[in-house]
Amino acid sequence: MKIIAIYNIKGGVGKTASAVNLSYLASLDGARTLIWDLDPQGAASYYFRIKAKVKGGGQKLVEGHNELDAAIKGTDYENLDLLPADFSYRNMDLILDNVKKPTKRLNRLLEPLAEEYDFIFLDCPPSISSASESVFAAADMLLIPTIPTTLSLRTYKQILKFFKQQKYDAMKILPFFAMVDRRKQLHRLIVDNPPSFMPVKLDSSIPYASEIERMGVNRAPVGDFAANSRAAQCYKSMWEELKSLMFEA
Amino acid sequence: MANNQLDFVFPDKQGFAELIHSLRHGFSIRQSPAAVYYRTFYDTVDWLLRTAGSALELHDDGQSQKLYWRANKDAPLRIQLGLKQVPQLAKQLPAGEFRQQLASVISVRELNPRIQIKVKRIPLAVLNKNEKVVVRINLDENWFYPVKTRAGMLLGKRICVKAVKGYDEAFDQVEAFFHEMDLRPSQDNMMKLALAESKSSTIEYSTKLKLLLDPEMPAEEALKAILLRLLEIMEQNTAGAIKGTDIEFMHDYRVSIRKTRSALTLIKRVFPKKTVKKYSKFFSGLGKLTNPVRDMDVFLLKLESYAEKLGKSKQEQLQPLRQYLQDNRDKAQQAYVDTVTSAEYRQVLKGWRDYLESTDPIEPPQKNSRKPVSQLANELIWSTYQVALKEGNAITDETEAEALHELRKTCKKLRYLMEFFQSLYPAKKILELINALKGLQDNLGDFNDYHVHMDILKGFNEAGTDEAAIKVSTKMISRLDKKQHATRNSFAERFRAFSSQENQNEFRELFVVSNDG
Repeated sequence: MKIIAIYNIKGGVGKTASAVNLSYLASLDGARTLIWDLDPQGAASYYFRIKAKVKGGGQKLVEGHNELDAAIKGTDYENLDLLPADFSYRNMDLILDNVKKPTKRLNRLLEPLAEEYDFIFLDCPPSISSASESVFAAADMLLIPTIPTTLSLRTYKQILKFFKQQKYDAMKILPFFAMVDRRKQLHRLIVDNPPSFMPVKLDSSIPYASEIERMGVNRAPVGDFAANSRAAQCYKSMWEELKSLMFEA
Repeated sequence: MANNQLDFVFPDKQGFAELIHSLRHGFSIRQSPAAVYYRTFYDTVDWLLRTAGSALELHDDGQSQKLYWRANKDAPLRIQLGLKQVPQLAKQLPAGEFRQQLASVISVRELNPRIQIKVKRIPLAVLNKNEKVVVRINLDENWFYPVKTRAGMLLGKRICVKAVKGYDEAFDQVEAFFHEMDLRPSQDNMMKLALAESKSSTIEYSTKLKLLLDPEMPAEEALKAILLRLLEIMEQNTAGAIKGTDIEFMHDYRVSIRKTRSALTLIKRVFPKKTVKKYSKFFSGLGKLTNPVRDMDVFLLKLESYAEKLGKSKQEQLQPLRQYLQDNRDKAQQAYVDTVTSAEYRQVLKGWRDYLESTDPIEPPQKNSRKPVSQLANELIWSTYQVALKEGNAITDETEAEALHELRKTCKKLRYLMEFFQSLYPAKKILELINALKGLQDNLGDFNDYHVHMDILKGFNEAGTDEAAIKVSTKMISRLDKKQHATRNSFAERFRAFSSQENQNEFRELFVVSNDG
């Protein structure tokens, strides 16, 4: 089982769209896939037509033993299940602070699912907190969607710095450019000449595309309703790149 | 909800349209376009995966390929991600659980597509009021396509109802619908059904002699039957031996050659001398030709386990040795391929088959031609057993290694004779004696293998130029020498067990007919 987290401190950078589309592509490959919608806004749950509600809320999930499995719902796609969001996740930090070894808690919760799933995607909320630290510890890969703008790059630098300070494995971090609008000069400039503090990143990037926005209308991954669109092809390339990193290393 | 999947048999002669119509009455159904995919089952020539309850299955829908693996009959079928193609050999896989599990079942054997099933699927989804999928129903038509043929046959229609996690109530409702239809639950698997169909049209691969001899049969008929079966085994393994990927084909091919030569020379005075001379020379030539191929195959295989004990840094220094072994193997393999693909080879084998298939009695009959086979079998096994005892008893700690090689050859002859004539004796008793002999043969075989491997290494040292590799090779020689000594030291004990009074009595009881003497 591989745990892939999609994370950024910033909101609105395409985290949920990436988590939804990449998990969908993993399931199309036949991999048993779970996406955990950790964001209390519940966008990923919404995209999959699943109510953002967990019985007993985040508290019960974190404290319990088998609650995780019971809360999982199958999506419209074979091999793809979802652990829905819950509004109580907004207090995840407080919930985690009440248990022993909060940073290792997520890992312990996911462990029993190792037999059931080949991939677990974590759609993380935008913040930096003990909940995020729990994600940093559990994930095998931390994908950071980054808009090619000055502020976004600055945020990426902050994440890197935090990882180093807290002695997390920075090798897990894989940034990629998201919402790239090649009509904008700054986007072109940054994508074509990535900054030196970004020596390792995914070659594939995700464009700013209306199809991705339409995911909310269709309530489906972009590959389902616009398989031949540029956006769908870009996610596909990204998934192929991720697989080659995971399996050919 | 007890299960998360239900399978039903749907009558072959009925179409699915009516069923879909009834489903629409009770549920909100979404029907996706019908799709076709192929399931190809891979296995070795001797069905090692199937026998072990494992399965390696490739699903191809024309757009993507998915490889599934089941480690044993109780394990689930699991997708293998990150593989670009189906491996031919276990060693081609990256190190990991899958490789380890596969190797433990198929060892060095090659995988090939064995059975192909075409599935025509109508995917249905049951939706809830929010148009969310809550149950999946697949309506499948399974067609069997023997590999490399176009004509298919319908194996059966099946309905598979799959639960969607978290929507148990909907699944229960669909389950009740199907129970009301009074459909038979399906437990059979399509691979089994397809295999049953394929068996009727293909010859089963086997390297077992599987002979049933009549004790009163004239020796000439029995010998022809034995040799004909050996020829079949040899021919079954020729294509694989020429290809050279799966080294067991060459091994089985060589065993049948050796047995043929032994049958010809040991079962004396049955065929005319001229025939024996001609064909034993031919088969002996084939044996010599393929010796280096087999020696290198075995050594390349053993090299890794020898090397493991040498430490990591030395293992890398073994590359020139590996290359040397591979080059020698390739050279010997090419010489073999040139021979077996020649017109002369085909001609001799055709003559051999014609001779064995001829039902004309041998004229003039040789001394043993018309003798009942059971009598000749008794005489041959008993006398060869006596030789083995005599040679073994003469071996002391000081005896030259050559004597052990001679005994190894005699034991091999004895083993072959016992196997040729196995069906003439009570199954349990002869098997016990064969097993007693096996214990001794293993010891003598190991002793010989160490000898051959040391010779190969010495050859490498003489020809080699890579100093580091020669140093490692020399170290390996000294290790092998020690192992050979240890094997030699355990010989006496093994021989004592084989030549025990109890075994001697059993041999006498089985192969010496009391009213003979």
